[in-house]
Amino acid sequence: MGVIARLAEGAEVPLFLVVGAGGRLAADDLHLQRGVRVVDTPRAAALLVVVGRITRALLHPALVVHDQLPLPRATLWMPTDTEGDADPGGLMAAFPAVTTADVGNADEFRTVFADLVSGRRPSDPPALPDMEPAHWRGVGPYGHGGAGMTGGVPFGRALPSRAPDPDGLELDQLPLQLGPLHPALPPGLVLHVGLQGDVVRQVAVGTNPYQVWPGDPSPGPLDTALFVDALRAPTPVADLELARARHHLRWAARALRLQGLGALGRRLAILARSLTAGDRGTVESLSRRMTKRRSLAWAMAGVGVADGELLDGLEARLVTGPVRRAAGQAEDARDHDPAYEGLGFEPVVHREADAWARFRQRLAEATQAMDLAERAGTRLRQPGPALEGPRGTLHPDTAMPTTALLELLPDLLAGMEWGDAVTTVASLDLDVEEAALPTLTPASGSRMVGIPAAPDYQNGGGGAKTRP
Amino acid sequence: MSRGALVDVAFWLFGGGSVVAAWLVFRTDSMVRAAYWLLASFAGVGVVMVLLNARFLGLVLVLMMAGEMTIMAVFMVMFMMNPAGLNPMTMVHQHRQAKIAGVVAFAGLALVGVVAEFPDRPADPDGEPTAELGRELLGDSMLLFETAGVTLLATMIGSIAIASKRGRYGDAEDGSAPPPLALS
Amino acid sequence: MNWSSPLPALLLVGAVLGLGAYAVAVLDGAAALVTARQRLPLGDIVIGPLRQAALAARTRRSTTERPDLQAWALAPALLAGMAAGAVATVPFGPDTAVADVDDGIVAFGAVMAVVMVGVYLHGWSANSPLPLVGGYRFIALALSYEMPLALVLIAAALPAESLSVGAIVESQYDLWNVVRQPLGLPLYLVAGTGLAFWGPLNGADGADLAGGTSAEVSGPARLMWALSRRFVLVAVAVMGAAVFLGGWQGPWLPAPLWMALKTLALLAVLVAAGHRLARVRLERFVVVAWVVFIPLALVDVFVSGALAL
Repeated sequence: MGVIARLAEGAEVPLFLVVGAGGRLAADDLHLQRGVRVVDTPRAAALLVVVGRITRALLHPALVVHDQLPLPRATLWMPTDTEGDADPGGLMAAFPAVTTADVGNADEFRTVFADLVSGRRPSDPPALPDMEPAHWRGVGPYGHGGAGMTGGVPFGRALPSRAPDPDGLELDQLPLQLGPLHPALPPGLVLHVGLQGDVVRQVAVGTNPYQVWPGDPSPGPLDTALFVDALRAPTPVADLELARARHHLRWAARALRLQGLGALGRRLAILARSLTAGDRGTVESLSRRMTKRRSLAWAMAGVGVADGELLDGLEARLVTGPVRRAAGQAEDARDHDPAYEGLGFEPVVHREADAWARFRQRLAEATQAMDLAERAGTRLRQPGPALEGPRGTLHPDTAMPTTALLELLPDLLAGMEWGDAVTTVASLDLDVEEAALPTLTPASGSRMVGIPAAPDYQNGGGGAKTRP
Repeated sequence: MSRGALVDVAFWLFGGGSVVAAWLVFRTDSMVRAAYWLLASFAGVGVVMVLLNARFLGLVLVLMMAGEMTIMAVFMVMFMMNPAGLNPMTMVHQHRQAKIAGVVAFAGLALVGVVAEFPDRPADPDGEPTAELGRELLGDSMLLFETAGVTLLATMIGSIAIASKRGRYGDAEDGSAPPPLALS
Repeated sequence: MNWSSPLPALLLVGAVLGLGAYAVAVLDGAAALVTARQRLPLGDIVIGPLRQAALAARTRRSTTERPDLQAWALAPALLAGMAAGAVATVPFGPDTAVADVDDGIVAFGAVMAVVMVGVYLHGWSANSPLPLVGGYRFIALALSYEMPLALVLIAAALPAESLSVGAIVESQYDLWNVVRQPLGLPLYLVAGTGLAFWGPLNGADGADLAGGTSAEVSGPARLMWALSRRFVLVAVAVMGAAVFLGGWQGPWLPAPLWMALKTLALLAVLVAAGHRLARVRLERFVVVAWVVFIPLALVDVFVSGALAL
């Protein structure tokens, strides 16, 4: 036993991440940390790591996931808010035992993990009572929870309803909630799907878990914080473009990981983490090699076509940014921005409007951004009305780009296979946290929009990632 | 233990196991389990065939039955309103008729097995069953098997053609109703 | 090897599978590092898989709400057993085969079919939506690659005029099948990747399903499943080395060493494909398998049949 224990102590620490408010960048960096492995399912993890500030709507899902970690397990918290109270609501107290760690300090992980595996540190007890989600024993005329032919929850599980299939058959359809902690979806995205097999028939986007309640601190640092600040303060153009390239490379790393190319994704993420102006050649050659990959094209081409017709069908909100430019429409706020005059800026455009076009679009924009950063030198951008952020155009008085993109999802994902749905959602580059900001004016950060969804017990048991 | 004794043990184990598994097909309360108990029963029969030196037939039996029982499980789950076949359900109906039919069939087969005169031609233990099978398939039984083979091939091609989305009149989805968008 | 002393047989099969799985884990780690242009000391790469295994062994097994426990436990055992059966039919030397039966190729086909049963059971018995979807996806995948796999193996059996793997190996004494039947090895590798649901054909355990059929498995069960998957990959590589790369034949080196080298070469190709090729969309793969691969495999059979006549 001693040999096995000593071997186990040296293993890569498996983590499952809960990304709270303001934690997205730190969570992305954790994927690159040495000696640590971010896993896809809580059953493979030994540590639950909460990055950022946990919100009310994320607390119950995080507790459910915490109980799904196999013993021995421990919980770590990495607050990203260095000034002020990182947990004003005292929500972290709901976890049985939390160790606070510094952002970016891997030794903390290794110490906790080694103590856990060797038995020096006790494993976390469960946070929630171990009870069946739907009460069915003794309920109903036969005592198994059913009511009538198709009603009730027999054995704790609602019977699937019938729904027509495009082939004309009446097939079972399972109502399922995926998110907010699903590793294949952007952190915080809640999708209520009607699944027929692995085909998504209906999709509705759930309540935003990063909603700001009265009394909550203003939302933590967004991963596009530099661009939001540039709306009000003069910022060097080179910094903006470098941040844009970094953002797109990080996004590409995430997209590649979802396609099974985790190692290639890590290469892009390592480049993004230490990106400087001199890396222009590397970015260009990597982009070119990625876009030439036939297997990647095969996996993403024709998936999630969001053409101009679909984009213009939204009522009040307009989709901007790479999604629109990949649909063939050359709309870019940098075209009218005086700070970019003379730099030879032309919006990059692709025609096909599918996930592959959006992938190539963002890599092309990353290369273009590196070009612009080199040419801009020390030019400063004065605060102006509109700024082209990496996801879309930012205005002080309109909603963040993700708000419009979220409205695309029900129409876009209906009828898709689940794998394609994941690829499409990834290709839209959503940040659910920024969609919780109604507009960018600071005073309106405390508008309450809805009540977080109560735990959906009617759906019966099963994987916790399917329930709030 | 001598080789003969090992063969005897194996026969009783797998033959008896076949019968038990077949009985369990009807006693279990899960559709998928029923399908796989049936597979286990067939696998037992396959082992018995291997013991009878018909190794090719035994292996092919397992190969085909594994695929077929899985398809059966998939179809059962597809058409029963039982979420993924995981809720317990009773697999048997019409108990009286089934019992009568089962007893009659067993009596008939047992009568045949006891009364009939089986040929007494011990198989050659060093024979090559695969080669013999090949000679039979392409010799005396060629018409039968070639017809069956070509029919099966036509069935496969036909089913692929039916499932195809494009036909003589265009795409299958042109003009079909889009899936409903409201979550009910 | 004979029936009265099973110990050498068990040792051979166990060694092949165990060392093979370890080699797959090491190659996988090394390929990931090379692709990501990261560096790690060689000792870490070599010890890494053992450390992961030790950690998994020390973790507690978790359970879901009313799973089918027997089927859940049976699934990795089925995969491992089938991999062992497939390796048993392959000769590692002129006289070293556990069970070089006359129908080795058919035995491999039976292995392939029962692996499908094992993966489906692993996904279904967890009583959870995401593993279930993974299990069903694997059935669609398996039904698509089964035909090309069986057809290319039959095509390789034609020059040998026998279905036994030993005879196929010996029929390659003058020319390897990879040269004689150029369509054979690529189609076999594609189908083999699907059989072990590895890399580009990992629909069953993919990242989009949060781990798919192994999303609810933890502890020793997780270790057993990971090992069984690697056993199946090793069985695919061993059979491929025997049927297409001339098996144990080769100059100067002892026969088992040649088998080991050829198996490692195929494993390296499969592992590299896992890190370089994106996961294939199932719908597209099914169409390509039925419309392109089966006709290609049929062409392979016809051509090799014509040559053999």
